[in-house]
Formats: sequence, C-alpha cells, structure tokens
Amino acid sequence: MHNYKSMKLMNFSEVTGPQFHKVHVGVGHRLDAFSSGVLVLGIGKGNGVLEHLCKSHVTRDYMLEGEFGKATDNFTHTGRVIEKTTYDHVTLDKLERVLAMIQGANQKALIMYSQVDLHTQEAYELAVRGLLYPHGKSPPILTGLRCIHFNPPHFTLEVQCVNETQKYLRKLIHEVGLELRTSAVCSGVRRTRDGPFKVENALTRQHWTAGSIIQAIAHFSKATRKIRKLEMYKQTAGQLNSNAQVQEQTRMCENLVKTYSKRLTSVIATKGYITKY
Amino acid sequence: MALVSIRSCGRCGFLLGLRAYATRPVGTPRKREQQDDTPVFQYVGQHRKPQGKVFVWGFSYTGALGIPSFVVPDSGRKKPRKYQLTPYRLDTEQKISSAACGYGFTLLACNSRDLTKLWGMGLNKDSQLGFQRTQHDRHKSYDYVLEPSPVSLPLVNPQETRVLQVSCGRAHSLVLTDSEGVFSMGNNAYGQCGRKIVEDEVYSGSHVVHKIEGFNSGVTQVACGQDHSLFLTDRGSVYACGWGADGQTGLGHHSKASCPVPVGGDLAGVKVQQVATYGDCSLAVSTEGQVFGWGNSEYLQLASVTEATQMSSPRLLPLRGVGRVRQAACGGTQVAVLNEEGEVFVWGFGILGKGPKLSESAIPERVPATFFGRSEFNPTVKVSSIRCGLNHFAAITDRGELFVWGKNVRGCLGIGKHDDQYFPWRVTVPGHVTDVACGVDHMVALVKTII
Repeated sequence: MHNYKSMKLMNFSEVTGPQFHKVHVGVGHRLDAFSSGVLVLGIGKGNGVLEHLCKSHVTRDYMLEGEFGKATDNFTHTGRVIEKTTYDHVTLDKLERVLAMIQGANQKALIMYSQVDLHTQEAYELAVRGLLYPHGKSPPILTGLRCIHFNPPHFTLEVQCVNETQKYLRKLIHEVGLELRTSAVCSGVRRTRDGPFKVENALTRQHWTAGSIIQAIAHFSKATRKIRKLEMYKQTAGQLNSNAQVQEQTRMCENLVKTYSKRLTSVIATKGYITKY
Repeated sequence: MALVSIRSCGRCGFLLGLRAYATRPVGTPRKREQQDDTPVFQYVGQHRKPQGKVFVWGFSYTGALGIPSFVVPDSGRKKPRKYQLTPYRLDTEQKISSAACGYGFTLLACNSRDLTKLWGMGLNKDSQLGFQRTQHDRHKSYDYVLEPSPVSLPLVNPQETRVLQVSCGRAHSLVLTDSEGVFSMGNNAYGQCGRKIVEDEVYSGSHVVHKIEGFNSGVTQVACGQDHSLFLTDRGSVYACGWGADGQTGLGHHSKASCPVPVGGDLAGVKVQQVATYGDCSLAVSTEGQVFGWGNSEYLQLASVTEATQMSSPRLLPLRGVGRVRQAACGGTQVAVLNEEGEVFVWGFGILGKGPKLSESAIPERVPATFFGRSEFNPTVKVSSIRCGLNHFAAITDRGELFVWGKNVRGCLGIGKHDDQYFPWRVTVPGHVTDVACGVDHMVALVKTII
C-alpha cells in the first residue's frame, strides 16, 4: 500500500516554497551608521541573554582613527569644516601625556559612579581587585586608552569603555585635539570587542548562512552561560553595598510573590517547570 | 551640479518637477577649491615649551595659599573662602623650582640669579618669613602675609647665588643656597635655627636671618621637623640641631642643641643620601638603600627596633620585604618609604592607605599599585616620589599624576570634599605634576603644562 499522506503535494518544498520559521532576532549594543565592527545579535531564546549582556557592564574595545588639522561639525572627516589648525607641534610624547590625563580623570569617574560608600573596608577590597564598576546609570567612562599608531596628521587610539555611544568617541577625538591646542576629526570607529565577543569570531558577509550561524552559536554557548552567571554575581555584589536596598527588594519580591502566587502555581502546573522559591 | 542630479534622478523614472536648488544638498562633500579657502589657525608655535605653574589648596585663612581674595574678598558681596578644596592656580612671576609648606605658612623659591629668589606667605608671627615691612609703619612686620612676598636674604653675592631648596617647620624655616650655605629664620626657642638661644627673645618682627656655621663640608639637603632641623652634607653625614625631648635630634641626649652637631649612632661612617622629617620622628636613607630612624616612636614608627617610645640615637631599621629604599618621608604619626621598584610601603598610626581597618601597623605594609593607575593598559606605572604632611601622604607617579590619601585636615587633600581618604585618590591637576609640598592643612604642587 502506498503511504498517500507522504505523497501529498504539500510535502514537496518545490511546490510550497521554502518554509520559514518566525525567529526573533535582537540586537545588542547599537552601532551607528558611521562605525563598523562587531555587532552582537541574539536569536530566539538568546534575546534574554542580550538583556543580561546590556546590564552586565561589560567593556567594549574600539579602534579610533583620527586626523589632526581640522574641526568639523559632526566630528567626522565627512562633515562641514569649521576650522583648520596647524599640528606640527604635536609629538607622540605630548599625545601620550594628554591621553594619560584623560585616562586619569576617567579612572576617578569609574570609582565615583560605582555608588559604593568609599569609607568602608569593602570598598577598599573591591578597589584593590579592580572590581569597582559603575552600577546603574552612568555617563560614558573609558577604562583604558592608549595610542597605537602615530603618523601626523593620522593617529590611531585603542579605547576600552563602558556605557558609551559612538558619537561620544568621535567627540573624544575632537577633545584630544583641543587639549593639544589643535583640532582633530575622527575618520573611523571600529568596534573590535563587545564583552566576550571578539572580532576574530565575528561572521563576515560571506558567512551569513545558516550553517556558520549555527556553528557560531554553539561556539558561544559557554560565553552566554557565563553572562547569565555574571549577571547574578553582579546583583549580589550590588546587594553587598546597602542593606536598606536589600530589605526593600526582598519586601517587593515577597509582595509580588503573594499577588501572583495563584497565577504562578497554575503556570507551573500547566507547563511543568520546576522553579526555585 | 544641481541640474546634473535632477537628470540622473529622471533616469530612474521618478517624477520630479523643475525644482531649482538654491543650496547644495546636505551631506555632499565640498569641491576641492572651496576646501582650501578656509584659513588655517595656529594656536601653538613650533618652539613653545611647557611652562611651570603652581597650584595651591587647603586652608586659606592663614594666608598660606597666597591668594588674598580668599581671606579679604575684593568686593563686599563676596564671602571669604575658608577652604580651597580643589587645586587653584597661584600666579607667580618667576618659575618656582622649590616649595615647602610649614605649619600655616609657605615658602616658594626660584633657582635664578635674580635679586628676588624667595617668596613667603602665611603665618609670620615668629618671623618665619623674615621681616615683612608693613605699609604704614616701617618698624613693624606683618603677622599674616596674604600674598607671596619677597623674603630678603643677607647674601654676599646676591647676583650669583642660587637657592636650591627650602624647608619649613612649625615656626622656623631653612633656605639652602648653592654657594653660601644654609640660612635660617624664625623661632629659635629650642635652637632649631642653629644659633645661640637668647632668653626671652621676641621673634615677632625680628630681622634676624642667620647663616648657619659648623659644617665640615657643603650642605646638600635640609629638612625641618616640628622644632628641630636636619642637614645632610655632600660627604653623606647628617647634622642636627633643635629640640631633643623625643630624641629627634639623634645626638644621644634629650636636651636642646643650639648649633648643628654631627649625628652618630648607627649612622657613623654611613653615607646618607636623603633625610626626612616633619614631626618628631626622623629618618635617613643611606646610599645602600637602608633606612635609619630615630626620635619619637609612640606611634610604632620605630617599633621594628625598639619597644620604647623614644630613641635618641639612630638605629638601622630592619625592614622586611621592602628591598632597596630610594626615598623616605615622615609625617606626624606615620612613615612612608619608596623602594627602587616604585612601590610604596607605609607604617605607623593613622589613615595608612589600606582601608579604614588598617589604622596602625608596626611593620611596613605595601600599598597596592592598582591604586596608582597600574592596570592591563598601563602595566608599568611606578611611583617616583612620596611626601608626607602631618596627617596625610602624597605620591607622584612617573606619569605625572598626584595621588593623596590620609586625614583630610581642613581640605588639605584637594579632592573636592572634606571626607578623609582611606586609599590613594587622584587629584585632578591640569598638567604633569613634578613636585608637591605637604603641610598640616594645605599643599602646594609644582606642575608642568603638557603643551
């Protein structure tokens, strides 16, 4: 007997066309039109991890190309030139000193925005290990800055930062120029690392196929697990700092649990999940 | 140009009316000829060299900051500024090469051959800034000098001699010149000025600036303690004079010395490269990198060799794990040393820099280098010099950054707040810090600009 079900026309993909599954794709930290580099995408269940990545204050690495001699309205080399200045007095030595000063100010900001009481021994312990990171809202802070290449008028900076926008980085190039009593524009912003996702593992245009994407997801499965764990650690570190906050949080949690307990139990019963209380 | 763009769009099949563009569309780059028309500005010439600047902060009512408008405001509406919590630029006519902060007063020195080499400001009740003639009465001297005022030295060759270093104590000051020795002024009740003690001498309004004699070779460094003075000669021997009740003169007794006497004890025959003191404890660093100490030990400064509270003769301090010491600095109750690798070790009593829990230590504790800016981006940052005020520390790294920690007495740390600082904190100064002088409640920083 023939299996008539399997011979239905609908089962042939040449008849119906390729079948698409609806998959949610989310974007991690944004990259604006002028910049290039690593862009983290989350597929399906990975979108939840993306949220953790955003909250976890991982640092990002950028390579900034700059050019001395002109100032434009949007801090890039394609903008309208506002002013042109000389730059022959700029040496690598002076540039390094300016970068050291900027880095110093940012290190200070890093500790100040960490919302930790600096008069406690715990604050000292965290500061020694370099674990003081800005919690909650903070302005963009550079955790590392150095000059990779210097060939006047062109120069390249490597920046490690937290909570930044690409426009801020272009403005940084402009400010470096101002400190050196000249003007500078940014001719390229390239993100080389976003948290644990490095540019070496990023997929280029030729590799945007299902096979390589699946491989990449498998490669990063450890990293995604780490991010989830890191988020929980950061939460506990934040709780160390203020008892009052913890009490309020537990009270809020208790209230939530009370109001939604009936709903929770019904959800658990239907879906069969095991949750911790 | 505009007409061309309409034609190309027309090829794509869009319906465009005949719109005449008055301006260039946004985003298109200008043509080459227009770019070269903009003028080129020059802000810095080719031969511009970095300038030296002086920054001051701390308690201003004594006039020690040298800014009169903080004490006596220019206009009636302004209020006097009691504490200057962040670095403030002090305008000086000459480039200041050496500065020293005493207890409520400051001395600034320039190593030029001009006639005015020394400026003083602050408390002058014991004539520690020399005789500052008042405007109204030429026989009277100001008790408080609010602005940097020239201090006159009785030099034999004022147009040849240069001032190398200044040092200030509680109520006296020492000036070191390159060819005419050491001059002292101020209170001499304990012989700290190196001259014979005169009973019931009135120090206010005194004209006496004494040239100290009694050294067998040229003096290379001077250090002022609270009421005693230490001198280091080029042969490496240390001389001391002044109050000795805590044994801080190191002469083996606890009485006053009114003229410099060579210090013996463990220092006999040792070549010393640096002496340090500010309170009642004194330290000397030999050329071999060993540390000798004497004086007050109530706060465990010398607890590595003695359980007594005073030591009147220098003893070698066996500091474990410190290595070769390059520089030492003494405060009122705490001590810091810097070794050849650029690491800072602290001990004593007070806020030592390792959190609020560590308030006293008898053995040297290393301050972690991460506080001084060492990270993966800058793995080779080292501390290049350390200084001590009465209750705080200051460290300068080789990248020109200034770090302070300790008790924030009347805003002397310069970090913008009145709170004490339990670990090293950066002071934001616009430039590269080359030297810093710490006092009781104020500090002076000598800064070089970047451009």
